[in-house]
Amino acid sequence: MAGEPAGALMRFSCVGRLTQPSRNLSTEKPLSTKKGTFNMGFNPLHERGIPLERQMRNWSELNVTPYDTRSVHPYTRCRVIFMNGIEVESIINSHNFARHTADVGVKQKLAMVRRAEQQQQKAVNWLIPGDESTLARTIGYEQVAVDLTSWLARQEPDPYLKKVYEFALLEDFDHLYRYANLMDLMGEGRLAQDITGDYTEILPGRPTIFQHRDPHEELNRPMTLTAASPQSVMNAITITAAEQQTMNFYMNVGNIPEHPLARAMYLEIAQIEEQHVSHYESILDPTLGWLTNLVLHEYNECWLYWSCMQTEVDSRIKALWELHLNMEIEHLRVACEMLRDVDGIEAESFLPADGLPEPLTFEPNKEYVRDVLQRTIEWTSWDSQFVPITDLPADHRYFDYQRKVNAGGVPTEQVISQHREKHGGEYRFATEGDHPVASLRENGPHDQLSYWQVETKMARELEGVR
Amino acid sequence: MAGTLKHTLDKVTDTVGGTAGKMNASSVTSSDTFVENAAIGNRYEIEAARIALQRSRSEPIKLFAQKMVLDHTTAKHQMSSALEMRETKGVAMPPQSLDSRRESMLKHLAEAPDDSFDSAYLDQQVLAHEETETLMRTYAHSGDNSQLRSVALGTLPVVQRHLRDAKMMKEQRAA
Repeated sequence: MAGEPAGALMRFSCVGRLTQPSRNLSTEKPLSTKKGTFNMGFNPLHERGIPLERQMRNWSELNVTPYDTRSVHPYTRCRVIFMNGIEVESIINSHNFARHTADVGVKQKLAMVRRAEQQQQKAVNWLIPGDESTLARTIGYEQVAVDLTSWLARQEPDPYLKKVYEFALLEDFDHLYRYANLMDLMGEGRLAQDITGDYTEILPGRPTIFQHRDPHEELNRPMTLTAASPQSVMNAITITAAEQQTMNFYMNVGNIPEHPLARAMYLEIAQIEEQHVSHYESILDPTLGWLTNLVLHEYNECWLYWSCMQTEVDSRIKALWELHLNMEIEHLRVACEMLRDVDGIEAESFLPADGLPEPLTFEPNKEYVRDVLQRTIEWTSWDSQFVPITDLPADHRYFDYQRKVNAGGVPTEQVISQHREKHGGEYRFATEGDHPVASLRENGPHDQLSYWQVETKMARELEGVR
Repeated sequence: MAGTLKHTLDKVTDTVGGTAGKMNASSVTSSDTFVENAAIGNRYEIEAARIALQRSRSEPIKLFAQKMVLDHTTAKHQMSSALEMRETKGVAMPPQSLDSRRESMLKHLAEAPDDSFDSAYLDQQVLAHEETETLMRTYAHSGDNSQLRSVALGTLPVVQRHLRDAKMMKEQRAA
């Protein structure tokens, strides 16, 4: 893998001139990831990367040819969106570190690596074509959220952290459904399933209207680096970066649409993404030193580029993942060296000796999502605990927050009602039968969802008080 | 006269118990004992605050009591979450009731004369938070389970602020 690093750089340097091969989505499947298929461990500490001084690329090398939005494999789009988020996190983390250290030597190394990370971010994000609309990208972002979170939850060895993932999974699953309805309503000329393929179902999750909670409810219990599984540590860094980029995306593009409903929906869901970043960053070990944290970030990037390389179906983009992996191996080496020099800590003391055995994989999670829907649709959170909505006392801050933000109409509900009015029904994409929760079926008994019952009861009681 | 004497005796009993509790807390390094002590401490704080919310006529004390309910509910939830984690596998679940010492502290609080309720509550709050502060500080430094050390580390500054505020209110009342 790291045998001829310069060669890897040379091979990819012409990527911008390669033409995009046409693709047939119906016959293209991601590589199998059943346990045992990729059972070799990958340990980036044992690899040799591209020396830092040889990592800079010129503008035309970075200005890669975008994928074709009509023929790209949905999970290739997911990987591009996802890895952009990972690079953005690495850059922001490095900037924050630089602002908290006076050590000029550390600042210099951070600046060197950060410049390379910035170039990586450009090469990845510029794969997204200009003719892919904001809404089409949004559908891609939410498919990332659904299938990434599902994969992480399935792999998560800690029972509490698994709940943390499953809880937010149903919220992003609902966002996908709401944006899919918006896309159809706005007359994009393209349906959400054209973006997601038939890999991800598009159905209601925990209704967005009920996801608005007091900020205290997003503060979960952190793991500790010394006792948590390496898989748990990697999972948490990964999801925090991914949710952060979704938050940033909606914060910045949410005001681009002209239609008032679209603008309103983006801002409403953007607030949930803020909740999700708080939700996930709270499980990270808050006691780590900056350099330990840096090493973990670089290790995480190695794992993820290696994962993308293992599972990518587009050979041109696969070469980019390979090139970036070879760069990240060097970034990791530099970070480990600083940790040893400055803090006197060997990275091997906390990184897994055998590497990480499983590549992170974008793959269908339909049955899993349906199972989570059935088990946990009516959960809410109270501090770090997940409880049925019916367990909250009547004077809980949740209801006060709901009343404040939902007063005057809720855009994510309006989009569904407007879609029904205009098209005579909702936009849904189900491949595995009826919605597993009867009250969330299109013509199901909606008022039987406990959330609706509790909210209705609270509203009546409030009227009585007045 | 009899009521005053009883109240004085109750106060002495609480002080002796609280001092012993603090001494005991300074040696807690095992997971099971830490979880038990922290859980009882949270439960006592929430129940004492509920009594204060009913009985006190002082707005600052009511605000303080409201904060105790919220913060110790959060602490209780954080502990429950920690105990669901793989990192704490094998650690005993916390008791579902108070110990006899905290039971009698609540009884003393409930029976305190109206005109000395606030000082009784604040006296107990200083004692209880000194004990909890010692428990958290000791376990954060020397506890045997890293996840529970993390719980102690996260709770310690909150408890220190509670203790500071309780002492400040007590001094203000004395002045």
